[in-house]
Amino acid sequence: MARVLSNMLFKGFRSMEYTRATASASGSFLQHGMRFSTSVPNDPDTHDDFKPTNKLESSEITLKDIVEQDVKENHVMIYMKGDPEQPRCGFSSLAVRVLSEYRVPIGSRNILEDPELKNAVKAFSMWPTFPQIFINGEFIGGSDIILNMHQNGELKEKLKAKSSE
Amino acid sequence: MQLVVVKKLQRERIMGVTKEQVESALRSKLSPSHIEVIDTSGGCGASFKVEVVSEQFEGKRLLERHRMVNGALVEEMKDIHALSITKALTPDQWNKQQSQTSQPVA
Repeated sequence: MARVLSNMLFKGFRSMEYTRATASASGSFLQHGMRFSTSVPNDPDTHDDFKPTNKLESSEITLKDIVEQDVKENHVMIYMKGDPEQPRCGFSSLAVRVLSEYRVPIGSRNILEDPELKNAVKAFSMWPTFPQIFINGEFIGGSDIILNMHQNGELKEKLKAKSSE
Repeated sequence: MQLVVVKKLQRERIMGVTKEQVESALRSKLSPSHIEVIDTSGGCGASFKVEVVSEQFEGKRLLERHRMVNGALVEEMKDIHALSITKALTPDQWNKQQSQTSQPVA
């Protein structure tokens, strides 16, 4: 029951234009954390103490686990420079613009905020640059590939694959 | 944080990769029938745009082709900040594209 409720809550946030994955780790915490953190990270008035943190020394969860969870739980997941609302790089900005055309929820993480996460993502996908886009848990590529797939219709098909579930 | 960024930029400026280095690495590893490397960094050699046409791309998905290009530039990538692969085509695809652009459909 609790699981169902928290799933509903989670879905509610997923239906927002962008879902910002929190930096927290475990599944249950992610769902609870989401409730409080979605509106927080970009707020300039927020004190650092209240930001989600990646300090994982006390847990056994690795950065790789976080990446795996991100791409599993987010239909579309982008690791980028900056946020979807405020990209910090032309390529990341391009990728977000392309994905936004399809009006699907996008999970994102700003790799500029966390060099260790950045390295973990690079190792996970074996891809050297950002942005990196995952759809349905599958690594799709960077901005050149996403643009190419947008132009030839493949991206539409890829995104459809899930929504018909 | 700011300082790290500045240091990295300086390093790239000193270590900058040349267009010729990128081109020769791609030539030797992918034996392309057509290649174009454009330095988009404005001189510091940290940002490139490449077009590669190679038989080695035959039967491979775009993601794999891009991986091959990235793989050919592993050393150079350490000093390249941005690499845009605008084309990774087989000779057949390239010829088709060329004839399409030179003969607009009536």
